[in-house]
Amino acid sequence: MREFLQLVVVGISTGSAYALVGIGMVLVFRTTGIVNFAQGSFAVLGGLFMVELVDELHGLLAGLVAVLAVGFVGSLVGFVAVGFRHRTTPLASLIITLGIALLIASLNLLAFGDRPHTYPTIFERAWDIGGVLVQPQYVLVAGVTLLAALLLTLGLQRTIAGQALGACADSRRAAELVGIDVRAVAAIAFAVSAGLSALGWVLLTPVDPVNYDSDVRIAINGFAAAAFGGLASIRLAYVGGLVLGVAQQLVVGYADEIPGLGQQARQYELAAALVIMLVLIGWRARHEVHE
Amino acid sequence: MSTPPLLEIEGLVVKYGPAVALDGVSLSLEAGERVALIGPNGAGKTSLLNGVCGLLEPAAGRVRLDGRDLTGRGPGEIVRAGLTQVPEGRQVFPTLPVEANLLLGAYGREFRHELVSATLRYLRRRGEIAARLERVYSLMPKLRELRERPAGRTSGGEQQMVAIGRALMAEPRLLAIDELSLGLAPLVVQDLSAFLLRLNEEEGVALLLVEQNAVLALELCSRAYVLEAGRLVLAGPSHELEQNETVRSAYLGGGLDVADAEPGTQTEPGP
Repeated sequence: MREFLQLVVVGISTGSAYALVGIGMVLVFRTTGIVNFAQGSFAVLGGLFMVELVDELHGLLAGLVAVLAVGFVGSLVGFVAVGFRHRTTPLASLIITLGIALLIASLNLLAFGDRPHTYPTIFERAWDIGGVLVQPQYVLVAGVTLLAALLLTLGLQRTIAGQALGACADSRRAAELVGIDVRAVAAIAFAVSAGLSALGWVLLTPVDPVNYDSDVRIAINGFAAAAFGGLASIRLAYVGGLVLGVAQQLVVGYADEIPGLGQQARQYELAAALVIMLVLIGWRARHEVHE
Repeated sequence: MSTPPLLEIEGLVVKYGPAVALDGVSLSLEAGERVALIGPNGAGKTSLLNGVCGLLEPAAGRVRLDGRDLTGRGPGEIVRAGLTQVPEGRQVFPTLPVEANLLLGAYGREFRHELVSATLRYLRRRGEIAARLERVYSLMPKLRELRERPAGRTSGGEQQMVAIGRALMAEPRLLAIDELSLGLAPLVVQDLSAFLLRLNEEEGVALLLVEQNAVLALELCSRAYVLEAGRLVLAGPSHELEQNETVRSAYLGGGLDVADAEPGTQTEPGP
């Protein structure tokens, strides 16, 4: 039981970071119709920037700068991916985001090398809660994610800029007709989602080192989290991320005990989690049809 | 020198790939006028509107508002120049509350380059926009009752009201309405056209009514154009077009003989 709880705690924290990536994907998909596979690269950039900045600046400031910088990169990617008015199809945009993801990974390899990067957590030791060791960093990731998801939801509902994003999601044509610049809104959606992804790995990197090619794993996990809600619901993407994170940890944790598998367990983490996700999505789809 | 017309379209051509939807159409509309554009399904009515409103880039021709050439400009610029379209099928933002739908009509007008400066400009004019919202609510009191409700959960007629109110929030001098009556009950259409008439007469907003329902369009507007297969085939004052035999047979639902023989009697209601 203790081991189970231990795995769940870790799972919730990594799952939270996946949830942020998934929420970003939902935001971009709803407002632009684009599945953004560069979302994983934003997370990696967030982690790498943080590792660089944390030596120079106060941790809080470093995190803020990293998130804002990646947000800016995101808005540029948004402009490129959205392309020309009425000329670039969502499918073409998807390919563009894949290309950008590869480009960013290559640049990261050149700039940061091919070893994993991390920075020390500011917390000195783990909390012992009934025998379960809880790293404060895990709690931080989970808490900030929940707060960010709530703030985003509130911002989308209550502010006029958020409602403009909702308008583009509802009917891009009508949004254009009232004069909203759909490209400008798309750039903001990309920027916000990039910032969210970066935020996840700014916080997670001390407990889950980031590599130049971590983007594929992150993008796939984020996409699976988003797909849990049909790429349409921020709330369900959040839930999807948590489920996925916990499922992965359980697979890794218990696969270790299967003789002969041992050290290789980590390789099956992603595959197993995706199978679980597929089953859940299928179950949800059936459930919806029956409603 | 006379002042240029409010809207002037000259030889407008709109294509979808190789297919020509609109083949050199010219028309004009004065400030405060009510003009109808009628024609069968597929005649190119919506293509014309979209070519004018910046959703489609015209292959040839000119669009001028107040004499200013706006051909091929984006929809935002057309809205700021004073022409707002109420699109076919209403196209409200279904998940957003009615009030947000209306406010977005004013917000969209502030877009010149990007979201942040648009938001700042919108916030700076918040008092003025609140006053305009109040004005729209006083014109359409029903919308005030529905302000909190998601627009997707209102009736068809109410959605048409939301779409018109949203367009009015951009302070248009010309309101182009695509298929006002589509899918709405006759009584609702009656209310809406009475409202538009009042809007035109009291507020001086010019109307361009794009309609398949020629009876309604001719009744509401003083002038009309008839579009068929991408070209204008007729134009003139509504009362003349109502007497025109081609129009009567094709659009007013009456067989020629019956209408000629007994002008006073009603034709049988359609199925």
